[in-house]
Amino acid sequence: MKPILEVRNLTKRYGTGCPECIRLTGPLQETNQCPRCLSVLACREVSFNLYPGEVLGIVGESGSGKSTVVRLLHFDFEPTEGEFRLSLSGNGDGASAFETDPTQNLFALSSFRRRQVRNELMGIVYQNARMGLRMKVSAGGNIAERLLMARWRHVGRMRQRAAELLAQTEVPVQRMNELPRNFSGGMQQRVQIAKALSTQPALLLLDEVTTGLDVSVQARALDLIRSLQQELGVATIVVSHDLGVIRLLTSRTIVMRHGCIVEEGLSDQILEDPQHAYTQLLVNSVL
Amino acid sequence: MKPSMPSKAIPPPADWRDSGPPARGHYSYAFLDEGAKREIRRKMLKAVAIPGCQVPFGSREMPIARGWGTGGLQLTLALIGPDDVLKVIDQGSDDSVNAVNIKKFVSRVTGVAVTTDTRAASLIQTRHRVPEEPLQPHQLLIFQVPIPEPLRLVEPSERETRRMHAEADYSRMWLYLYEDIVKFNEITVGARYPVLVNRRHLMDPSPIPRWDVAKLNQGQALCLFCAGREKRIYAVPPHTEVEPLSFDDFAFRAEGFGGRRCGRCGSTATYLDEVIDDAGGGRSYSCSDTAYCEKIRRRGGARGADGPGEGPA
Repeated sequence: MKPILEVRNLTKRYGTGCPECIRLTGPLQETNQCPRCLSVLACREVSFNLYPGEVLGIVGESGSGKSTVVRLLHFDFEPTEGEFRLSLSGNGDGASAFETDPTQNLFALSSFRRRQVRNELMGIVYQNARMGLRMKVSAGGNIAERLLMARWRHVGRMRQRAAELLAQTEVPVQRMNELPRNFSGGMQQRVQIAKALSTQPALLLLDEVTTGLDVSVQARALDLIRSLQQELGVATIVVSHDLGVIRLLTSRTIVMRHGCIVEEGLSDQILEDPQHAYTQLLVNSVL
Repeated sequence: MKPSMPSKAIPPPADWRDSGPPARGHYSYAFLDEGAKREIRRKMLKAVAIPGCQVPFGSREMPIARGWGTGGLQLTLALIGPDDVLKVIDQGSDDSVNAVNIKKFVSRVTGVAVTTDTRAASLIQTRHRVPEEPLQPHQLLIFQVPIPEPLRLVEPSERETRRMHAEADYSRMWLYLYEDIVKFNEITVGARYPVLVNRRHLMDPSPIPRWDVAKLNQGQALCLFCAGREKRIYAVPPHTEVEPLSFDDFAFRAEGFGGRRCGRCGSTATYLDEVIDDAGGGRSYSCSDTAYCEKIRRRGGARGADGPGEGPA
């Protein structure tokens, strides 16, 4: 099967960098900071594929670079090095067909084109709803923003779509015109999910979606994501430090530490029979 | 009262009301030094080349305060030549203090003729209105702009708004209008209605009423905009598409006057000012474009459904 997403040698360095950076950092050296030039390598030489309809998990402790990878893929900031290819076509019903050139390194595109790719093909849910939502704009408006980015220009239809999505994500539709500020954490997260899914993205990025929610709300959010994912068949990357989330949602998992991939494989395999010492530690640390 | 300029260089004229002795000899032609004019012209060329894009320029100190039309004045001075005929309007009026002062100043430093007739002018500096009579290809319309950034409403950071323009990321502005519709069931933006120029740049058309926005679309004359305080020049060249942001089910709507007509000339197809009589509290309406109103009056008043399109000969 051909992957729909290819990432090669993705590196993000904070600092000046030196030729020794790569050799002096990583899981073997137990650090992601180069002792010579003091640069921090948030992620280094990360490569992976994502296949159609697949849910890929990225797991690791905090500071391991998993969020950095996802945000780089969402073009939230610039990578130091790396290649990123997508072979997808948009299927938003309001937008015209949008296709990416499968041979084009998306990091080399202009920010104008990258924004187009992002608006047409990607949806993201952040850990903190403050990052993904505008707190001074109504819940319906937040969803409409995504639709407006995808060139929807009909208020009635946008409101209808927002109402549909809010119903789907179990947010009371009559609270559509309220500010998300007035919502509980779980509800905010569900509005974020509705916003991310509004244009039917071809790639969904979930960055620690359940962290900070209490267990029952967590369970419902995960249930929702799983059912929506199965319904829509959207290729998804799930970032979490919670192995429960990984077990529930993903089919394949990458384990990251100090900015590097230390282990990669089927989720069940990794959780039942971890090979790398760090993964073993991680699996054994589950309460 | 003495002028604030060095008194040696230019003696105050005996009577300020006439145009006074030409101040040339002490200043270069049209007040600005040649270097300044060259820079402003260059920036105007860039602005014309990228319709609707704001081009930064080095705004000079002028003998009027920033915020009182220094942007428009600098463009006027950089463009004007001895053969030009100047018209200056302020909210449509030729006779308001600001317009009169600017007109006097420009004619003192250049000696060009001034007019109130839109047809006769080759250079029109305006504050917040487009003249009712359609402009001709040889005419230039110069707008005074208080806030050149249309996105300032939704984003306070200049760095961020520049990025948004670069990436044509105008969803925040659209969202603002969407929220307006959700709250009030209509778009409540009055003047300064955001427009998309040449299908690319979001532009602030300066605080002209929505009534005038349509006149910018596919116009005959070159429209130049300048904000002296914010140091930005931008332009709408002739025959350029200027489209107000609107939704499929909430179309852009210009102001309506409910069939009222101008109390002085009787026009029904002009932008009207509401005037409240201080003593009696009664309301009357009159054309905001005073020169056009006067022209119609002299012709004997508007008959029936007139439009500025045909205009007086």
